[in-house]
Amino acid sequence: MPFLEFSGITKRFPGVLALDGVSFSVERGTCHALIGENGAGKSTLGKILAGVHTADSGELKINGRIIQPTNPLVARELGIAMVHQELAFCPNLSVAENLCLGDLPRRAGFVNHPELRARARAMLATIGADIDPDTIIGTLSTGREQLVQIAAAVGTGAKVIVMDEPSSSLSATETAELFRLVRELKARGITLIYVSHRIEELFAICDNITVLRDGHHVVTESIASTTPHRVVTQMIGRELLIATPHHLTRPLGDECLRVTALNSPRKFSNINLSVRAGEIVGIAGIVGAGRSEVVEAIFGLDPAATGSLAVKGKSLPLGSLATALAAGVGLVPEDRKRQGLVLGLNCRENTCLAALPALTTFGWVRRAAEQTLAERYTKRLRVKAPSLETITAGLSGGNQQKIALAKWLARSCDVLLIDEPTRGVDVGAKAEIYQLLDELACEGKALLVVSSELPELIGLCRRILVMREGRIAGEVSRDDFSEATLMRLMAGVAAA
Amino acid sequence: MLSYLRTLFRFQESGLLLVILALGLLLTAFSGRVRIPLFERQADGTRQRVFLTNDAGERTPAFTEKNKFLNAQNMAQLAKDTSFTAVMAVGMAVVIISGGIDLSVGAIYALASVLGALALRHYGPEGLAAGTSPIVGVLLGMGVCVGTATLCGLATGSLIVALGVHPFIITLGGMAILRGIAFVVTKGQSVGGFPATFREFVRYEVGDGLSIVPMLVMFIVLILGWIFLSRLAAGRRVYAIGGNELAARFSGIRVERVKLGVYLISGLTAGIAALLSLGYYGAATSGDGQGYELNVIAAAVVGGASLSGGRGSALGVVLGALIIQMISSGIVILGIDQNYSQIIIGSVVIAAVVLDNFNTWLAKRRLTAKAS
Repeated sequence: MPFLEFSGITKRFPGVLALDGVSFSVERGTCHALIGENGAGKSTLGKILAGVHTADSGELKINGRIIQPTNPLVARELGIAMVHQELAFCPNLSVAENLCLGDLPRRAGFVNHPELRARARAMLATIGADIDPDTIIGTLSTGREQLVQIAAAVGTGAKVIVMDEPSSSLSATETAELFRLVRELKARGITLIYVSHRIEELFAICDNITVLRDGHHVVTESIASTTPHRVVTQMIGRELLIATPHHLTRPLGDECLRVTALNSPRKFSNINLSVRAGEIVGIAGIVGAGRSEVVEAIFGLDPAATGSLAVKGKSLPLGSLATALAAGVGLVPEDRKRQGLVLGLNCRENTCLAALPALTTFGWVRRAAEQTLAERYTKRLRVKAPSLETITAGLSGGNQQKIALAKWLARSCDVLLIDEPTRGVDVGAKAEIYQLLDELACEGKALLVVSSELPELIGLCRRILVMREGRIAGEVSRDDFSEATLMRLMAGVAAA
Repeated sequence: MLSYLRTLFRFQESGLLLVILALGLLLTAFSGRVRIPLFERQADGTRQRVFLTNDAGERTPAFTEKNKFLNAQNMAQLAKDTSFTAVMAVGMAVVIISGGIDLSVGAIYALASVLGALALRHYGPEGLAAGTSPIVGVLLGMGVCVGTATLCGLATGSLIVALGVHPFIITLGGMAILRGIAFVVTKGQSVGGFPATFREFVRYEVGDGLSIVPMLVMFIVLILGWIFLSRLAAGRRVYAIGGNELAARFSGIRVERVKLGVYLISGLTAGIAALLSLGYYGAATSGDGQGYELNVIAAAVVGGASLSGGRGSALGVVLGALIIQMISSGIVILGIDQNYSQIIIGSVVIAAVVLDNFNTWLAKRRLTAKAS
């Protein structure tokens, strides 16, 4: 009988089917890899096991008994712990306090500090971590903090540990340390679920692998019987939503955006790229490769960036949003709720937010002009809202994204930086957004599109730049587009 | 008629109007009657009491019986009392909508009053410049008063923007510093003796003792505030910053400049209120306006401004100020022990926020129901 069993796990988020009847099993004391593209459902699956999300249907079994981890606390009691990428602890408290937070040792109502330290030290010792229990968590590096999380998991008697992208922000030595620990935990009979994008490292430490694609289970097999190349082909192969875009048949215009030797400490280095009028250039890469950071720097949001930037032949200073705007650059940011929209304002106000200066006479907003502009672009983008006066908080993800795009169209930007154009958007709205981006390119705008969805970039772009670890790992032109090529460049896997 | 009513109810502030109406009805019904001496306006403009001569030839003062709450004098009193806080509340609303808070308005009010008073006394009957035209003196005094307040607002705003510290801290410090300056300047003494024209102007009465000037000023500030918030690009930026500062920045709004502006506006309205009180009371001390910041914030919150930013209106906060004033004057009229007034007002503020949260929750539920 398998130790841990997933059967028919289905999870639906508004507008997306994140997991569709996923079933597989995990052996005790193994490190089991979960891999897939962005949106494949691997993190969701890990979170369902750890009680962060609850499955809509399906069963989880440990040793044949059905378990229902309805929240992280229940999961903890069942012996399942999760190592998160961020925000697992109170950063202002010490390692010892965080480790014992749920059950602080007390003496007559006061915290018993010697006992607290002793317990923390014992927990840290079980995983051989050399960390002073009095250190404030916030001062630890991500790698050391992860060790504390693992110590907390092991110390509370976890039998299953879910690790969500544990190596994504670790240095090489820290990663080596993590791998050593993973092997040691396995030896102690602890089962690990290892969620990652990085194909190579799975081959270094995992025993079995489960590949997910679009919420479906593709395969579960032993790592020894597969190859990185085979895993890549299993991950890809989603259907394209776009017919061949029209902009490809049109001649390109002048160079609109040129970035030379763009650097930013600890974010990216030596980025060179250029986009011509009427061209859509894509930037691919795994999360954390520095894609969003590059477009934000072009938009003047990174004060530490160095290098040179020219828009329509005119050189611009870096780190100044005002000059980037004045030169006709617009950014549709990655996270529309946090960076793109003022959710409390209505469709009209959000659409015209960036265009306000053009709609203003002596400080007065010209209502009629505003109305016309908002109407034109919400109509063009087919925003479905009861009226222009509807508060954007109540719109669906797709319609919100359209408003976030409309904001820059209303300002008639010539250079559009679009970060994740269709994240969290339903299928219908996706197709509409693709069509719109195609139209914009046909009109002669220069588009730089960042996306985690390879099919989207492959369908839309004339060229794709692939970023890995803060650098451009390669450029692929349309004739050579294939998910496998791009994925290999993204993950740094040599061609088979 | 029905559609007219419907538009009224769609109107954002209709809830507040309903509360005011209900409060007014309650106070009218339960306040009882009161005997008020009769006055009569003489040919020279002064008001004299009316006397009746009875059969025996004795002159007795004439009285009339009126509702304790709903009578002209009480209404005039209510209007005047409301105008001081309402003027400041409009400025506070702008700050709160931007997602900030200004605790220094009471102290700005005191400092502006005191400095304005010193200038006015200089040109007053016993001042050093007694001979000059009262117009010059009054204009200068007004300029000093409003100018000081605006500068104070600019100073707190600059500190908040330059240091990037939470406005609560900066304005808390500013509150102590500015009141301290007011105390040092006056050595704690009351400053009075203004040119008579100034007081006569602000206290100008029409009808049955209604001081029209504070009310007019309140209406002007309300209309300007309404125009600023709902018609000017600057107002839109205030809502945008309060709603989502990051998105506002990403849209090219110069967040720092807008923030500076909102504290300047808050200072300005505190100065206008100070000017009104100078004219009305004819004197100022460094202790003036103690605790006003809390009354003003309470008025703004009751009037629907959200402390998390992005929501509120000028009319709402003026109505909020009126509600608070009606309650505190209602406590007097109903003969409830004065000591309870703070408890009651505190409870009202909390109730208003709870109601508002409930309302937002309902709206959110409606939205998600519609989306799914």
